[in-house]
Amino acid sequence: MSMQSNVASAATGLRAYAPTADLTISPLPSRGARARSLAGTENLHTEPGPVRFIIIALAITFLSVFVVLPLVVVFAQAFSKGVGAYFSALAEPEALSAIRLTLLVAAISVSLNLVFGVIAAWAIAKFDFTGKTFLITLIDLPFSVSPVISGLVFVLLFGAQGYWGPWLQAHDVHVLFAVPGIALATIFVTFPFVARALIPLMQEQGTQEEEAAISLGASGLQTFFRVTLPNIKWGLLYGVLLCNARAMGEFGAVSVVSGHIRGETNTMPLLVEILYNEYQFVSSFAIASLLAMLALITLIVKTVLERRLDEGQIPSDHSRDN
Amino acid sequence: MTIEVKNIVKKFGAFAALDNVDLKVDKGELLALLGPSGSGKTTLLRIIAGLDWPDAGEVSFDGENALARGASERHVGFVFQHYALFRHMTVFENVAFGLRVQPRAIRKDEATIRARVKELLDLVQLDWLASRYPSQLSGGQRQRIALARALAIEPRILLLDEPFGALDAKVRKELRQWLRALHSEIHVTSIFVTHDQEEALEVANRVVVMDKGRIEQIGTPGEVYDSPATAFVHGFIGESIVLPVDVSGGSVRLDGRPLNIAANGAASGASKLFVRRHDMAIGPAGSGSLEGAVRHVRSFGPIQRAEVTLSGGEGKTIIEIDAPRDRELQAGEIVGLQPRRYRIFAA
Repeated sequence: MSMQSNVASAATGLRAYAPTADLTISPLPSRGARARSLAGTENLHTEPGPVRFIIIALAITFLSVFVVLPLVVVFAQAFSKGVGAYFSALAEPEALSAIRLTLLVAAISVSLNLVFGVIAAWAIAKFDFTGKTFLITLIDLPFSVSPVISGLVFVLLFGAQGYWGPWLQAHDVHVLFAVPGIALATIFVTFPFVARALIPLMQEQGTQEEEAAISLGASGLQTFFRVTLPNIKWGLLYGVLLCNARAMGEFGAVSVVSGHIRGETNTMPLLVEILYNEYQFVSSFAIASLLAMLALITLIVKTVLERRLDEGQIPSDHSRDN
Repeated sequence: MTIEVKNIVKKFGAFAALDNVDLKVDKGELLALLGPSGSGKTTLLRIIAGLDWPDAGEVSFDGENALARGASERHVGFVFQHYALFRHMTVFENVAFGLRVQPRAIRKDEATIRARVKELLDLVQLDWLASRYPSQLSGGQRQRIALARALAIEPRILLLDEPFGALDAKVRKELRQWLRALHSEIHVTSIFVTHDQEEALEVANRVVVMDKGRIEQIGTPGEVYDSPATAFVHGFIGESIVLPVDVSGGSVRLDGRPLNIAANGAASGASKLFVRRHDMAIGPAGSGSLEGAVRHVRSFGPIQRAEVTLSGGEGKTIIEIDAPRDRELQAGEIVGLQPRRYRIFAA
């Protein structure tokens, strides 16, 4: 059932990957279609009633079977032996350890990617330099590489037979099968989220406000914290939210580097799989339900943030439909 | 504060935005940089502000090397074309920004800052907008807030990039007069960039006409209008009639026919004759060295504007002349033309 959370986060991932500007274009053709139907003296709806009904019914059925039903099953299974069993499953030391590890890894990778993402977006949006296109492509790399490969890369680097493995072993530094390795793999996989959320926003805002701040005597740091950051805060939160969802739900890359040491290097998605394979359905689905809840919360907050982002566009003079 | 710019060169790739520019601005002046887009005027302004760096040359304020300082240390007030107000701050906070980011040692206390901002908002007559956000203001209001924000740091120099460019005609006119009045009140050395000749001539003490990264002429509005130094300036400022002529041995010919005017020392060869629309005397046929047929007449106010097809030259040369309305012209009428004041530049 770890797939559950992965599907949710992959979907949100795609949302982030599509530049927000693209989505605002979609209403335009329909407006054109509406204008055409008006010319034909029809009402605002182009399709006849039955067709409309069938289309909507199809969409709802599809969503119910493939999205709502699995989600319901997760919770149904989690609570199948009662509320007591559910909470005692979550209170297991193994479960607690997995929750702790997931939170820790998410905290590390999100905060580092926050910094990296802002720096990368800043560089790309506000400066011109050779190799800029290459850098943009590079930022997208983690999205186009299979997570398993992403994990394997770190095994090749830090593993016992890897490039730095022997040196690390000699100095008693544990990267693989320990928190650093899991964090590294997660950072790699979730790197694009923050940068991707910020680049279009910062490009659209341009550099004029920063220039104004500097000409008014502000230092670089003052300019960043008083002008740049407040202007990108909603976009930044949006990126962080998606980054966090993926960091907590990541399975493939983490599975390769974790080593599945019980109570030590199992994150929540890994534990869900292990418990499921051991027929501990209640425990497995209890933890899966936490991940599902995370996905739901992410969706809600994302919707709110998107609204704030759109509102944030109104004061600017430039339209975003480019 | 005087500003001196010497031998400034700035290239964007192969394109020379500024090509050896020299300029001296006197204390308390209100100077206009006038030119078509791409003439390098905004680049020059940004280099003076420290927002761009020249590839070669010097910039000094009161004899002190300005290039040794970054934009934040130059104490230059810059008003951006699109105002660049901080969108997440109120008008009050926008104006206060320059005071709040000062180093702690010289930063004023909150009460002083508030009093100063109030004073500036009074100066631009917008104190009633203090708690609004930039998105809630009109273009003219934003422009004035941008100016108040720039003035908050008590700049040694005020630079304005196309200050009225994004405003509608009526607001633009009002703001022009207002800027002049403001300048005579605070008397800070100011440079503004514009592509609108009327704006430059009306507002500035001196006008710098630029084209293709070079300065074509520097002079008072009267000088650049009445005595343009180059063909470009004559063509760019004011409406001109331009005729291709040949100069040889002190005589000027148009399509082989002599014009009864002196060459005024113009070098021999293919040249261009520039005449202001109102400097072409128009009279009955045979009254001047040029002749033409009136195609069309529009009368408004004190003048009538006649479109005249010149005789000869295959009837392809059509010029527009502004004539006083003492004698109403008729379409189809043959008229004699004689340049009263003119200039000849090598083609």
